[in-house]
Amino acid sequence: MIKIRDLEKIYRTEEVETVALNKISIDVKEGEFVAIMGPSGCGKSTLLNILGLLDDPDNGSFLFNNIEVAHFNERKRADLRKHNIGFVFQSFNLIDELTVFENVELPLIYTGVKSGDRKKRVEEVLDKMQIMHRRNHYPQQLSGGQQQRVAVARAVVNNPKLILADEPTGNLDSSNGNEVMTLLTDLNEQGTTIIMVTHSEHDARYSHRIIRMLDGQTVLENIMV
Amino acid sequence: MFKTYFKIAIRCLLKNKVFSAINILGLSIGIAVCFIISLFVQEELSYDRFNTRANDIYRIEFNANINGGKINESNVMPPVAQALQKDYPEVKEVTRLRTLGKPHIWINEKQFDGSSLVYVDSNFFNVFTIPLIQGNAKTALLHPHSLVISKELAQSFFGREDPIGKLIKFSKKNDIPPFTVTGVFDKIPSNSHFHFDIFGSMITDPDAVSDSWLTSSYYTYAVLQKGYNHKKLEAKLPGMVEKYMGPQIKQHMGLTLEQFRTKGNSIGFKLQPLTAIHLHGDSNTELEARGDIRYIYIFSAVAIFMLLIACINFINLSTAGAVKRAKEVGIRKVMGSRKQELVKQFLLESLLITVIALFIAAILVQLALPLFNELSGKTLVFGFQLKPLAALTLLGLLVSILAGMYPAFFLSSFKPIATLKGKFTTHNSTYNIRSGLIVFQFFIAICLITGTIVVYKQMQFIQNIKLGYNKDQLLVIDNSWALGNKERTFRDLLLNDPRVENVTVSGYRPAGPSFFNNALAYPEGRQNEFMNTLEYRIDERYIPTLGIQMAMGRNFSPSMPTDSLAMIINETAAKAFGFGNNAIGKKIFREHGDQGQHLGYTIIGVVKDFHFRSLHEAITPLLMVLQPETGLIIKVKTKDVQGLLASMKKQWQTFNTVDAFSWSFMDELYNKTYTAEQKTGRILNIFTILTILVACMGLFGLTTYTAEQRAKEIGIRKVLGASVTQVTSMLSKQFIKLVIIACIIAFPLSYWVMNQWLLDFAYRIHLNVWMFAGAGVIAILIALCTVSVQAIKAALANPVKAIRSE
Repeated sequence: MIKIRDLEKIYRTEEVETVALNKISIDVKEGEFVAIMGPSGCGKSTLLNILGLLDDPDNGSFLFNNIEVAHFNERKRADLRKHNIGFVFQSFNLIDELTVFENVELPLIYTGVKSGDRKKRVEEVLDKMQIMHRRNHYPQQLSGGQQQRVAVARAVVNNPKLILADEPTGNLDSSNGNEVMTLLTDLNEQGTTIIMVTHSEHDARYSHRIIRMLDGQTVLENIMV
Repeated sequence: MFKTYFKIAIRCLLKNKVFSAINILGLSIGIAVCFIISLFVQEELSYDRFNTRANDIYRIEFNANINGGKINESNVMPPVAQALQKDYPEVKEVTRLRTLGKPHIWINEKQFDGSSLVYVDSNFFNVFTIPLIQGNAKTALLHPHSLVISKELAQSFFGREDPIGKLIKFSKKNDIPPFTVTGVFDKIPSNSHFHFDIFGSMITDPDAVSDSWLTSSYYTYAVLQKGYNHKKLEAKLPGMVEKYMGPQIKQHMGLTLEQFRTKGNSIGFKLQPLTAIHLHGDSNTELEARGDIRYIYIFSAVAIFMLLIACINFINLSTAGAVKRAKEVGIRKVMGSRKQELVKQFLLESLLITVIALFIAAILVQLALPLFNELSGKTLVFGFQLKPLAALTLLGLLVSILAGMYPAFFLSSFKPIATLKGKFTTHNSTYNIRSGLIVFQFFIAICLITGTIVVYKQMQFIQNIKLGYNKDQLLVIDNSWALGNKERTFRDLLLNDPRVENVTVSGYRPAGPSFFNNALAYPEGRQNEFMNTLEYRIDERYIPTLGIQMAMGRNFSPSMPTDSLAMIINETAAKAFGFGNNAIGKKIFREHGDQGQHLGYTIIGVVKDFHFRSLHEAITPLLMVLQPETGLIIKVKTKDVQGLLASMKKQWQTFNTVDAFSWSFMDELYNKTYTAEQKTGRILNIFTILTILVACMGLFGLTTYTAEQRAKEIGIRKVLGASVTQVTSMLSKQFIKLVIIACIIAFPLSYWVMNQWLLDFAYRIHLNVWMFAGAGVIAILIALCTVSVQAIKAALANPVKAIRSE
């Protein structure tokens, strides 16, 4: 599903040049659950941003379902993203001015799903995430665990082929964290590819494969048994 | 999609109540002011355009320059119309109008006063679009003693009866034949340069067929061939002067046109386009008070600036509050939103704010229009009709695009990664743009404050200037001519009243409506040095009654029979005739009577210059002769003026039971001369206050944002020992710096603009540094007060809370 080769990302300021990704090459198959680990500043978030088409690489190739997307313009990236990729963030990133229902509905609006279908699909996914009773609440009225469940619901509502999770349990206690990891595992079992950046060895154990990074390069891959 | 955008917009508005209120209220005021001014400007620009032939109609005006004295009159000689029609084929039609004031009117022995009468040529309604609702416009004024009256007047005179064929008398006795009503017109539009109630047939006026090219009282309008360049005809008009006027000048003044012109004198006609009369006219004998194109420019600029200031608030507050929206933008982008979708969303938000502002603006316009009408003397209306509503909607749309475009592109261009990681910071360039916009807002505010100060100072100067006569306690009897030969008896009675200091018989008043008598005069032995002067026909009591000072010589004395050929002149005349300090005993000759005789007057006195015209004009040579006509000016010496007026009225009624006793105070007449400036001053005051208010609202909002964004910094500074004063000054400094920059930019421009305005006054104040410094200090103080409120609040906040919240 994902094939990146010799991917480079360099951040430049007037005086300093920082290599975030240094000719990195990774393959992710459809249906895989991959965890990316490494110390802060090793480039894992940069990698996730590029995989999520939120950022451009400077060099190298990025094939998404055999299509070269490395140098897509913003419009093409937005189109590919909204149909294929779901995101889960450490800090949930829900829109404060929208209710739970409206937050989850948002990706469907951008993919042009009709109002009746949207309602049905949002309710289905909220039900699945056991958050239906909070549908009319605003994010500030929910606990961290609940907010992350809403974020997961929003990530999956469009049935994306790929979910990118950036430290999804980073702001949660262990009980809520485990719940979110179980949700992600369930989704993966239903066929969704998941790539997760994490600092937590515990969370990484939910994945099929752990890619360890250092200084913008992969240094080790562990296959989980 | 729009539903979500709309929901977000509403919730954001409610969440940020203060900023929403600032934006909405600022825009409402901006739109309301802009709309009111647009109504005013539209009305001013539309003058006389209702006439279907407006673009082809030109008024013939008379211009002359005689020994430096300028004559610019919009009424010309009776035969001009005929000459134009006869000699110039490009002139399709000519029509004339002669004013006759407001005569007494009798209908079946019942008296009606207060309606204005003019004589017009029979084709008048063919030239001007004043449709008749009764009668035939083509024939109504063909015969002598025919009248066309307004619908309103017809109702007041005849009630429900048919007015056609009814008789109207202008004299109680039967010395003038009655006039027959032959037509009724509906109403002359408010945007016409003349408004009259009664149009009489010109053929009634025997003077209308006079062939004199030396007397002028006919407003003459020519219709040129469609699209004909009037400048071409204007170039031919000197031929008319040569052909018709030259011989009469030679006959009456003994000078050929060539001799006349060798001294730099000029005489001629010009064509004033009908549609330019109201705003660009410059004649001294206008039918109604004119507008002024400069005020149109000033007010239009104020309207645009006001709107810009409100839009700037919107832009500044939106970009300053970007941090609050950054996360949302990031999430939307991650969810697949395209940039143009976000642009649409933010434009929709600005549209929503504008729509709310529009509703409030519409209410404000309704509430403020009567006040504006009172100040401007207009009768503007804002009805819920399609045109003004469409204009208002268009204005709203323009505002929402103007105000929303930059924030929309700015907000939608955020990089999602940075915003979601909370690493979002606004760029320096955004800060610079915001600072630039604040400078611009205060630049406008300071220009307006300076303008207000200068206008106020000039008005104060006008009030306090030594006029050379004492306008206080002077009572003018407007219609003492109505007493006929009892006028002098009435005067004598007043002179015996202990409450009266003096009474003069004269219709020549230095302020308000006055008799007006131009006289060509020359010093003895120097006939070629004739000069256009103003002549006052007065009695011996005029100078003391008005408190005019003698510079040399003496006043008139009825006991000296030679004074009938004596003259008192003003200092300017003495100088202009080259007499210097030796004027007494010199002779001045002037034309006398219609036959062109020249009579010499011996100068017996020189009065100190006094202002007998508006301060817009310089003092010109004035000649005074002992030849009282009619009119009464009374110097009173009592505090009980009302008591005096009551007894005068009683006295008046014993002499005249027909005409009402009518009076004015000279100081009020004087003030009326400057009504236009006073009105402009008052309107400017209001706009200045509103501009400052809106600019300050924006500044208040920005300070609030700044205080919020710097909460952690302020907290740390306080923990490290910063005092409230230090924190307040730190926050205030950055804004005050901008206001000072605005001052530096505003001063030269406002100096130039106000200097131009003052140039229109022959007597004016001098601009000094304190006026500008004062404006600067006012702006800085206002800005400081605005900023301090939020700055102090931020400085007093608990630092622990701020640090923890981060």
